[in-house]
Amino acid sequence: MESLTASLQRVFGFSQFRSGQEAALTSLEAGKDTLAILPTGAGKTLIYQLYGYRHPGCVLIVSPLLSLMNDQVDRLRMNGFKRAAAINSLTPFGERLSILNHLDQLQFLFLSPEMLSQPQMLNQLQRINLSLLVIDEAHCIVQWGPDFRPEYLLLGAIRDKLQRPLTLMLTATAGKQTRHEIAKQLRSTPAVVTESVNRPNIFLDVENVADEATKQSRLQDLVKRLPRPGVVYFSSKQQASDTALWLQQTAGVTAAAYHAGLDAEDRFKIQQQFMTDKLDIICATSAFGMGIDKDNVRFVIHYHLPADLESYAQEIGRAGRDGAPSVAILLYAPGDEQLPLALGQSNRPEAETIQRYYAHPQSFAADEPQIHLLAFYRDHGISQAAVERLFAGRERERNHALSQMVDYVQSPTCLREKWLQAFDEAAPAHDEACCAPSNQPLDLAAIHLLQQAVTPAPIQKVPWQERLARLF
Amino acid sequence: MEAVDLGQLLSSKQDRRIRVIENLLRGKKTVSTLYWGQRYHLLPLLNLSKHLARGGLDTAIQDLQQRDWVTVDAEQKTLRLTAKGEVGLAQHAYYRPVTVDQWVNWDLNAARQRLLLAVQVTSQFAHSTARYYPLATDQETRRAVRQWFHGAKGPALASDLATALTASLRQLPNETASIMTDQFTGFDQPGLTLEQLALATDQAIWQIRLREFDGVAQIARDAWQTTHPLHNLLAPLWRLPVSTSSQATLAAVTAGGDLQRVADRRKIKLSTVREHLLEAAIMLPVTDFPYELVLPPAMREAFRTAVHGDLDSWQYVALPQAMQAEYDFFYFRLYAIWRMKQEVPA
Ligand SMILES: [Zn+2]
Repeated sequence: MESLTASLQRVFGFSQFRSGQEAALTSLEAGKDTLAILPTGAGKTLIYQLYGYRHPGCVLIVSPLLSLMNDQVDRLRMNGFKRAAAINSLTPFGERLSILNHLDQLQFLFLSPEMLSQPQMLNQLQRINLSLLVIDEAHCIVQWGPDFRPEYLLLGAIRDKLQRPLTLMLTATAGKQTRHEIAKQLRSTPAVVTESVNRPNIFLDVENVADEATKQSRLQDLVKRLPRPGVVYFSSKQQASDTALWLQQTAGVTAAAYHAGLDAEDRFKIQQQFMTDKLDIICATSAFGMGIDKDNVRFVIHYHLPADLESYAQEIGRAGRDGAPSVAILLYAPGDEQLPLALGQSNRPEAETIQRYYAHPQSFAADEPQIHLLAFYRDHGISQAAVERLFAGRERERNHALSQMVDYVQSPTCLREKWLQAFDEAAPAHDEACCAPSNQPLDLAAIHLLQQAVTPAPIQKVPWQERLARLF
Repeated sequence: MEAVDLGQLLSSKQDRRIRVIENLLRGKKTVSTLYWGQRYHLLPLLNLSKHLARGGLDTAIQDLQQRDWVTVDAEQKTLRLTAKGEVGLAQHAYYRPVTVDQWVNWDLNAARQRLLLAVQVTSQFAHSTARYYPLATDQETRRAVRQWFHGAKGPALASDLATALTASLRQLPNETASIMTDQFTGFDQPGLTLEQLALATDQAIWQIRLREFDGVAQIARDAWQTTHPLHNLLAPLWRLPVSTSSQATLAAVTAGGDLQRVADRRKIKLSTVREHLLEAAIMLPVTDFPYELVLPPAMREAFRTAVHGDLDSWQYVALPQAMQAEYDFFYFRLYAIWRMKQEVPA
């Protein structure tokens, strides 16, 4: 068999792997299940693309984000892998059928966890030769599992039913606890390939603001002064949309919202506008980012408090991929931790509801999300006691993760040290290019992140005939 | 859809049923929806907003009520524009699509998808871009565009397409041409979203959509010419606005079939045959329906003497008992459609 580097050259035209890629591939080639924890932008997809190229059979990729799947299929096609397809709940019936009928000819198949857990799908998959099972965004097993995607909890059992194919778990961030949990859920003892999560060129800043109004005006002020482009993260779709409009109208920037509520065409256009520097600011929910390769994002601002440091690390990781100075700013108003707390709780049934449901399952409406979740567990033979333990344990984990996040926000000392602690990493010594905890002011000039004065190009409205002609 | 958009679909002279407007937009083609859609002159709306939720017009209705622009009947079923509403609406310059009489003949959403992807593929091809992200569309659109492009690509495609699109868009209001151009995705142009176009032109989203439908319909109609570069891609989307089973029923009846015999032969119920015929009568020009056979002159004469006044006020149950005994509701409704077609040339 040709060497990994020769394959890399042949398929992608690169002569060198990026760090982490080769280690992960070598581990897989040795037949070891592998957990690859590599930062966003490290080229995680290349690992399974190249593996799929080198081995006969189908690479099955389980991916939690529906909007992203078709992007990934397109990306594979762009790289010359035409036999790729995706099936999720949005796939039209006819399309689904035609994919299923040609399953044995596929080289890459993307599935949502929901699709994978359907018995018919499993039957079909048992008949084909799986060269590799990829669990993309594997941290979702922990972050989303019990609350949002119960199907992720079945992955271990599903993997058994598929005769334990060689498995690659991919994630950008996973602390010790998360690594342990991923391995446990998947019933595997993977080799771990990891790089430091630290991003030295991203300056870390936490700012305390008195209230919502102050936060808004601070955001506006920052957006006006920071170099662009940038991303502002929100917990709510509505607030992302409203703020994009408001910034566009008041801050002299081009801004757009990006969230899971947009249709595929709008998502495509906004994403492409951002990629081609036609947008200054994206106001996003966590739906944005996975799969976005943009090097020159100069800032990431969090308007709401993330639920844990892993999500936070993942989201600020969109900044500064080119290695140039960038900044991650978290705006915090007293009581901000209530929102992630409430979001977590709203997805979790009360102990009393669990008891009543297990006593009289028929008398509940299954279309309610919490009941749907309980029905899912019950249908899979999980006892009431186990479900109660599951939710209680989950609640403790979430509260712990959130308190770590709050610790970070309130830390009077080096933020980077706090952050990396959660990933069992030692931080380099603090210096002036490192961070500004909440008790210290942010000096944009000192960290070379003041916007260069630009004279805005006069807007010329070109007649449509000419704009049309430019397309062709 | 906002208050002003909905207001455009209402009248001060006619009560209009909310459910009919909603079902038209959602593409629910019952005979009753089609009949009233025709009465309201709103059939072009058919299928334009498939994702509209049930009750999706409620906010717009509330808004209109708060402005005193409409009155709602006691049963909350129909809307009528007030004098204040008429004045209010007249103050908004509202877009009047120019191709609207074509709309029922096209699946405009499918045509738009194909057009956008074809423009992107051709634009990138013209600039020799080997790697780019194609617009996210359904598999059927991808298949159709791939097949079209395979046959159409060549050194002249881009300039032919540019010429053809320019010729089509020139026939439309300038702002519509401009909006159509801005939504296209292609080389160095990601394209603008509906919301961005609405914001940039200070128009409601629904008006932008009307302009897009207008542009798509114009281009699709021009692509009817076999020399048009998009002919093979768009012409297959032309369709009779009548379902294939209704067309089959209509053909059988036109060939001289008695309705019951047609029902027996097609193994469908007589009531289904009648529904098919009503659908065809509503959706097709008066010359394309065998009124002479199904609604002979003597029958028309009987109805003419029995019903009076405004068509909307006719009631089957108000007919003399003898007539009700002789003619089913089907003939009454068909007569109304025929009369309507006399008033409004198709
Ligand atoms: Zn520090």
